[in-house]
Amino acid sequence: MQIKVNSNTLARLLAAAWQSYRLGFLVALVGLLLTLLTPHFLTIDNLSNVLTNVSLVAIVGLGMTLAIASGNFDLSVGSTAALAGCISMSLIVNNDWSVPPAILVGLVSGALIGLGNGLIITELRVPAFIATLATMTILRGVALIYTNGRDIYLSGKTDYKFLSGGRLLGIPVPIVLMLALTIILILVVKQTRFGRQVLAVGSNKAAARRSGVRVSLVVWGVFAIVGVTAALYGMIISSQVLTANGRLDTGLELSAIAVVVLGGTPLSGGQINLIGTLLGSLLIETINNGLNLLNISSFYQQLTVGLLLLIALTLEVSRGYDLKNLLKVEKTSNEAA
Amino acid sequence: MKQHEVTSADAANSGEVPFPQPGLVSNSDPKAISSLIGARRNSRGRDWERLWERFGIGTLLLICWLIAALTLPNFAQFDNINSILRQSSFIGISAVGMTLAIIAGNFDLSVGSTLGLCAWVGVLVASHAGVVPAILAALLCGIMVGAINGVLISIIRIPAFIATLGMLFVVQGFTFVITNGETARYNGADFVVLGNGDLLGVPIPFVIFVVCALIGVCILSYTPLGRYIFAIGSNKETALVVGVPIRLTIFSVFILVSLFTALAAFLLGARLYSAGAGLEPGFELNVIATVVLGGTRLAGGRGSMLGTIAAAILFATIGNVLNLIHTDAFVQRLAIGVVLLLALSIEGLRQRLAERLSHN
Repeated sequence: MQIKVNSNTLARLLAAAWQSYRLGFLVALVGLLLTLLTPHFLTIDNLSNVLTNVSLVAIVGLGMTLAIASGNFDLSVGSTAALAGCISMSLIVNNDWSVPPAILVGLVSGALIGLGNGLIITELRVPAFIATLATMTILRGVALIYTNGRDIYLSGKTDYKFLSGGRLLGIPVPIVLMLALTIILILVVKQTRFGRQVLAVGSNKAAARRSGVRVSLVVWGVFAIVGVTAALYGMIISSQVLTANGRLDTGLELSAIAVVVLGGTPLSGGQINLIGTLLGSLLIETINNGLNLLNISSFYQQLTVGLLLLIALTLEVSRGYDLKNLLKVEKTSNEAA
Repeated sequence: MKQHEVTSADAANSGEVPFPQPGLVSNSDPKAISSLIGARRNSRGRDWERLWERFGIGTLLLICWLIAALTLPNFAQFDNINSILRQSSFIGISAVGMTLAIIAGNFDLSVGSTLGLCAWVGVLVASHAGVVPAILAALLCGIMVGAINGVLISIIRIPAFIATLGMLFVVQGFTFVITNGETARYNGADFVVLGNGDLLGVPIPFVIFVVCALIGVCILSYTPLGRYIFAIGSNKETALVVGVPIRLTIFSVFILVSLFTALAAFLLGARLYSAGAGLEPGFELNVIATVVLGGTRLAGGRGSMLGTIAAAILFATIGNVLNLIHTDAFVQRLAIGVVLLLALSIEGLRQRLAERLSHN
């Protein structure tokens, strides 16, 4: 009897630890596996490369996490990223702007686009999913018209390259940006009234409105932040390839949502897991990097992302069901004894 | 067991009505279900809303056609109308299935990837074994994807949005892996005619689209499955209480979505002579946009197949008109987004207006 209780406690502890850190465990497991399989994985160059890729996905993912926590979606992030990338690039190439103001204009345009999404959702009362679905096509059209469907190449000014290739204190800039964004968003969610209101709106909009939350303001704020993160992503990508065009970042919206879901933020809203989003991106990018290092065709990358998502959620759902049922059965059998 | 008896006896003693057990109301009693889901305030706003939902998009389409016919000399030509109808069919056929899913309160984001896979299979089999085996193979592929979706959603119980999002990546990745990134090609006359030919002057894909839509209407209006779909979409708990077989219904819905998409895929393969992974990027969101523009409510429980047909034709008309006046292809995306936004904000604007009037 004594042993049984012990094993039970141990199992519960393990289950609890698994529940809180399962993504961390998975990342560690994949990392260990890759270290054993290839000598090229555990090198500083490769790891910094992985982390740079992680930071790209994570930057949009973090914004999307906030949107999902507020009970909304933003499907327009890919188009926003493309448009912001085109705007800042074109200001530099065609209008001879210096780099910092061009980046600032890119970020501001992201914020304005987000605000526009928010206005459509609250003022025209279109559900976020459809509103951003429509702005997704609209913004894509605007980006294509703005660039005339052509590529904008950057050759002369290499300052812009700093956004993706530069280093601050020896750390690549995208990683610094990701960490800064994470810290800011965690502080916003935990420490500010706005953060609490976002979660309140996400868990029950009507209740939030009745308890005095100005839901419209919260939605505008959330979408403006998502717009800024998307714009940041678009500019980093365009600085990485030194090219911008209206076709950039198609399909980004669904990848970003996948990372958020993998990270454990529920689609129903009201809960947020920003660190989970980071770990989710880390897991996906580590696996992609592993596939590259092991010379496995890049065609398998999408397959892994999808399978990972399905397996993670199957585990999640079945864990909820089975543990409860098991505990119930155990209790009744104990009572019977 | 003993515990259970005590509680229900307590409830009876205290005069409370015990919670109805599942299966208490007969499954096949449509009145019980419709009385539960149909209880709705019958105010003027509701009437307006229903009217807009039923005929709004059809009216918009007619106005569009009228204006285009009066202003553009090339619009009201037989060949042009023919091409609009053909163009509307591929998204339209898939949207028939998606309408069922959205009315049941679900999504299928995997249709874009399913389209690529089934079209590739269709073209490949057609080039080796002929047209009939190709249709069967494409449909079988669709059923398989639909069955996996169904298992994930109704047996493992992953939310449909996430399950089909995962499947979007899995099916696309799978297609890339088996095709090695290459497209299949076949231009045999018996195959190509299915995408490009006419039947009595009407494009064959459009004939099939209309047949599919009729099947959709029949499913929704005249079968238990249709009633279950509406019941689940309007209120899942109520549906459970009156004994709707929720899991089986959702499973069938996802099979149907993939089946219709597979048919669209086969026809698209025949239209283009070729297919491979990455065919029509963003197809899933276009299909959802079509269904929503057709007046089907994203939250489930209400929707119309006729609206979906009208919306599919409207999208094709917009593209066609913009082609006729020689605008960039880029403007088309913009216009489609704007139309979607306008059509969907009309209801919200009406609500606001009504609120303002009632305040005054």
